[in-house]
Amino acid sequence: MWQYEKKLQYPVNIKNPNPALAKVIVSQLGGPDGELGAALRYLNQRYAAPCREVQAILNDIGSEELNHMEMIGTILYQLTRNLSIKEIKDSGFDVYFVDHTTGVYPIAASGVPFSASTFQSLGDPIADLNEDLAAEQKARVTYDNILRLADDPDVRDPIKFLREREIVHYQRFGEANRTICSMLIVIIKWEKLKGLCFPLAFLYCVY
Amino acid sequence: MPMLSEKQTLLRKLQSCGFALLEANLYLDSHPTCRMGLEYFRKHKQRYEELEKEYTDKFGPLRAIDSPGTDKWEWVTSPFPWERGEN
Repeated sequence: MWQYEKKLQYPVNIKNPNPALAKVIVSQLGGPDGELGAALRYLNQRYAAPCREVQAILNDIGSEELNHMEMIGTILYQLTRNLSIKEIKDSGFDVYFVDHTTGVYPIAASGVPFSASTFQSLGDPIADLNEDLAAEQKARVTYDNILRLADDPDVRDPIKFLREREIVHYQRFGEANRTICSMLIVIIKWEKLKGLCFPLAFLYCVY
Repeated sequence: MPMLSEKQTLLRKLQSCGFALLEANLYLDSHPTCRMGLEYFRKHKQRYEELEKEYTDKFGPLRAIDSPGTDKWEWVTSPFPWERGEN
């Protein structure tokens, strides 16, 4: 279960609204490598993890992604306050505004709504963790691209924090992957000793 | 740097201490017997609990369930953190 805490993981206080910037940052909410997809990916994959250490990493990073979703939502909310119709038209925000006004809605910057088809949960910890490693790098690149497009320090500061988190998560997933690989080596050696031959999927079920 | 309110100043301490705790949490998930990591966690946990109590006493509950529930439902008397200046 989860319990909400009335604070952000890292502060977001943006003085100047900027709907054009909101239009690209929304991708980190509902885009193919965004925070919502990250949270759903790890929190659904965790059940298939074969040991406590990996269950914990998926559970705890998945939960942290919910904090990041809240930070991105806060950035979008603050970037789209008190807009005039002229600002909405001139910034190109009108195509979002017509469907959602200034409500925070998970879509990619291209306008495609969030889809669970952007991630996998395969029930195989090696396949899942390798997807997770790639996902962290893809999210890191998206943050790099946002930093190329944003010059407001109020926006760049929390975006830089979120970018760094992708790198830390990548490190932790790498360790989880190594834990599973060394577990598998032990199992395979034991198998050879006993002269048994089970499919890998069965071995995951045992451990 | 913008001027921080008293609430924000205390919240920054709570956020940075909470961040240290989270980092220790994720690290310990994959290094559960690291003595240095465990010691780091314990040190920050104690500090976090002190800061959380100070913050909650001054600025209201962080979790709905921590509302005292006396005269008015305290959870709705303090702002949510997505408002500018409230986080």
